[in-house]
Amino acid sequence: MVNRRDFGKISLAAGLTAAIGRPAWAASAADAAVKAAQQYKGRSITIVWEAGLQSLDPTHFSGPKWKELTGMDVKVVEVATAEMFTKIMQDYKSGAGAYDALNVIPAWMPDLAQAGALEVLDPYVEKYGYAPELQTIAPTFRDNWMKVGGKIYGFPDDGDVFIMYYRRDLFEDTAVQKAFKDKTGKNLAVPKTWADFDVVGAGLTDILKDKGIYGASFFRQPPYAMYMFEERFRNEGGKFFAADTMKATINSDVGIKVFTGMRNENRFMPPGVEQFGFVENLAAFLQGQSAMTISWPPYGRWAEGYGTDQEALNWVPKTTIAGKVGYALPPGGHPELAAGFSLSISSTSKNKDAAYLFIQWLNSEDVSRQRVQLPYTLRDPFRDSHYADPGYLALWPNAKDYLAALKQASQTGLLDLSLLQTDKYEEVLRQAISKLWAGDDPKTILDAAAAEWDTITQKIGVDKQKAVYASWAANSGAYPKV
Amino acid sequence: MKTVPFHRRKETKLALRYLTAVSLVVIFAFPIYWLFAMSFKTPGEIFAFPPVWYPRSIQFNNYAVLFKDGDAKTVGNSLVLASVSTFFAMILGTIAAYSLVRFKTGGENLAVWIISQRMIPPVAIVFPVFLLYVWLGWVDTYIGLIILYTAFSLPYVIWMMRGYIEDIPLELEESALIDGCSRWEVLWKVVFPMARAGLFATAVFTFVFSWNDFLFALVLTRTEVATYTVQVTHYFGGQSNFWSKIAAMSVLGTIPVFVTVATLQRYLVRGISMGAVKG
Amino acid sequence: MAAIAYPDRNFKYWLISPAIFLLLLIGLFPLIFSLVVSFMRVTMLETDTSFAGLLNFIQLFHDARLWQSLAHTALVIVIALPIELLLGLAMAYLFLDRMPGRQILISLLVLPTIISPIVAGATWRLLFDNRYGPINQIIGWFAGYPVAALWTVNPRLVYPAIIFCEIWQWTPFMFLILLAALSNVDRSLTEAAEIDGARFWRSFRYIVLPAIWPVMSIAILIRGLDLFRIFDIIWALTAGGPGTMTETISVYAYVQGFRQFESSYTAAIAFLVIALLTVIVTFAIRRMGLAK
Repeated sequence: MVNRRDFGKISLAAGLTAAIGRPAWAASAADAAVKAAQQYKGRSITIVWEAGLQSLDPTHFSGPKWKELTGMDVKVVEVATAEMFTKIMQDYKSGAGAYDALNVIPAWMPDLAQAGALEVLDPYVEKYGYAPELQTIAPTFRDNWMKVGGKIYGFPDDGDVFIMYYRRDLFEDTAVQKAFKDKTGKNLAVPKTWADFDVVGAGLTDILKDKGIYGASFFRQPPYAMYMFEERFRNEGGKFFAADTMKATINSDVGIKVFTGMRNENRFMPPGVEQFGFVENLAAFLQGQSAMTISWPPYGRWAEGYGTDQEALNWVPKTTIAGKVGYALPPGGHPELAAGFSLSISSTSKNKDAAYLFIQWLNSEDVSRQRVQLPYTLRDPFRDSHYADPGYLALWPNAKDYLAALKQASQTGLLDLSLLQTDKYEEVLRQAISKLWAGDDPKTILDAAAAEWDTITQKIGVDKQKAVYASWAANSGAYPKV
Repeated sequence: MKTVPFHRRKETKLALRYLTAVSLVVIFAFPIYWLFAMSFKTPGEIFAFPPVWYPRSIQFNNYAVLFKDGDAKTVGNSLVLASVSTFFAMILGTIAAYSLVRFKTGGENLAVWIISQRMIPPVAIVFPVFLLYVWLGWVDTYIGLIILYTAFSLPYVIWMMRGYIEDIPLELEESALIDGCSRWEVLWKVVFPMARAGLFATAVFTFVFSWNDFLFALVLTRTEVATYTVQVTHYFGGQSNFWSKIAAMSVLGTIPVFVTVATLQRYLVRGISMGAVKG
Repeated sequence: MAAIAYPDRNFKYWLISPAIFLLLLIGLFPLIFSLVVSFMRVTMLETDTSFAGLLNFIQLFHDARLWQSLAHTALVIVIALPIELLLGLAMAYLFLDRMPGRQILISLLVLPTIISPIVAGATWRLLFDNRYGPINQIIGWFAGYPVAALWTVNPRLVYPAIIFCEIWQWTPFMFLILLAALSNVDRSLTEAAEIDGARFWRSFRYIVLPAIWPVMSIAILIRGLDLFRIFDIIWALTAGGPGTMTETISVYAYVQGFRQFESSYTAAIAFLVIALLTVIVTFAIRRMGLAK
């Protein structure tokens, strides 16, 4: 458990570790960027970043550090998550050119690239020799979050992926194991399929409910549950579209099975789980209320109390389960690489070169290693080197299992669906999920959703969308390899 | 003298009224109290089950953080934007209302057109205004938003002040003119002072409407002039919810307005009735 | 009111021109711009500025979701407005006569109106939370057993939740305006009526109501227009859900214009809304005799 320290000391420690770890003779991308940026001393660039916790990275660590090294001023434009796409698009469409560097959720990249809002980065990568360090980004992120139509538009910078967290202490408790075996005839084990999950979850709830513990809890609010649906649907074999006709197939038997399953599972989850968002689910898990949950990497760090003594994280409920958490892949074995962030450059920026150097530096081996270890960070490991970093491994006793799970997840992960006007399709999914919690029949909901998807596709142009979908589906992370 | 039954007695009625009044106030103020309490709670208390009704200790840490990180500056921005725009709206609107009332400028049609401007939904005009501002270089500037808020408040100010001005006896103005005042002097020396109560009443609500604006501030600001309403939304993250900051910021954002309303409240009650009754 | 003849005819124009100028700048120009855009095909993917005819307007009529959102908006207005009016009136009567601490109580009552609607929505969301909010807890005390009411998810509870929050925030506004109006009613008239044996309702209907009607009608109009544009509270509580069940016209326009950048179509929606409102408001203004 990390003792109480302020930002500066931890960052310094992380920085020293990184400095010691790097061989002195390597001309790293970070150094190259710093060197080339000297000519821009005194320049000011802006970068759009998710408001709140995420922004602490550039405002407390990377921004000041970059300024120290190059004399360039970094102005962080904090934007609420829900408004990021809007602000970026508006800035582009109005020709305002107020943003230089951007944080972009990869699922938006086709739309932004198609609209012309993003700068093609290949020439810059070439010019500053960044290709080698791009290669060492974990394969799934590297191969899926960087390019649109073969051109590089962004550098993956945040290894968002869903991990299953479970209470090791409960799963290894002999009394619980016995009660479970008696009740279900099966051995208690971390579920590998959704069918298993239903059995384990319901069983655990029966056994532990008196202690106030439920088998599982999820964040069921539509914006989050949407990602879980995309993940589970594909793990169970579903396809979003029929590739030849571009007709939506979310209302296939698989879709109905998934929706029905999701709804039934709520019964053994804490009452009111349909309203759970990221923080409510976090509170439930950290307070020991659920035995299993699925979420992004921060849950794992915060469950161990890493960074939660920081002022910036004082809104995180205190963990009661440190040392008791195990990590696994979600049932089905192919977790969703939900959301995530890539670093891009705005095509209307007036400081493209300078901004590019900043994002190269941010994304480089050296600097990214430090950034993902900041105690208040929301940036999750995304490079092969991160998963093996000695500094990270030392953060808490079980960190090695955590990093191993993250690494495995990054190798088997599934991409968010990303087409033209992805948000329209996602909106339909979100609404479908909210109808599910309202009690409507799964088949009816999904049939209506599929019909809406078809309408959207037709409006955009079937052939146009078909091409984009084909190129997305060709990605290794689009569907689980059979 | 006939003994008045218990339930008819004046004291009983007063007691009942008072009880009902206080209960109402408790119900209406409860959510505000909750917000206020949250700004002092620890996250354990905010996410406690069963819910905790009062924080164990009053620590101002959440507020201190807002000042340290510079978030509190947005309250200052809101204050500047709302007060300056209210000031201009009151002046320009009142003299416009005077023109409408005393001279029937533009006739009934102009009056109806002005009033109808208030029904434009902000969502309809915000993007064109954004484009205009990009062209003018007014995005993320004080002047841009001040002009916008002033313009947007004008219909309400003109509408309300019409009524208050109609209340002012014509003879007062005529005698001032006879005494040698210019028409502008009549305005400043007779009309504005006489309509003082109405001015305060209208100004308060104009201020509140500008203070609480979200959509325009969202689109037209970036970093320099961000208002407190936009700042609060930054605390709702995809992977975080800074409830204590949300609560503390909201309290900070409410105090100036509450203080203003509380002090001017007596004008409020008197002012609205005097003006609005005449329509 | 009689107009006054002044020697300098231009004075009245000087007085009104700054206001008109600003209104034109911020009011008329964007409207014309929107109108022009609504005849084009400006979306996220393309900026086709060629004349597209009535394409967007025709689409309006076929858009079921749009008409549903108008119906939802109407529902909110029809339920919330009368409640705010009646409750505000009742409260105004309550505070009409003196009582200890009246000033403080009134100041406290105004608080809901002055906090940002977004914060109001977010706070109510937490209040309604099944686990961490006090409302279900309080209901449980009365019911005697733990109640799990999902206010923002259950289709039967979402509208009550929204309307409750809305009434909480804006009844004080009505209350204040009506309090002022009531306090202006000549007390001697009502007292005389009481002595003559008139019941409360007769006295109200024939003496009080006509006296406060000018104020009340303005308040109803303002409140009605604001309810039409309701956005923040709904966005914070349900974001228009479940499905599109609580989507009002502003929420729908916001999603179309700001999430999906259907600029032309949103402009058409905006014009439909303005046209509708103009008709309603002009009718209301003339009927209530407000522009005289």
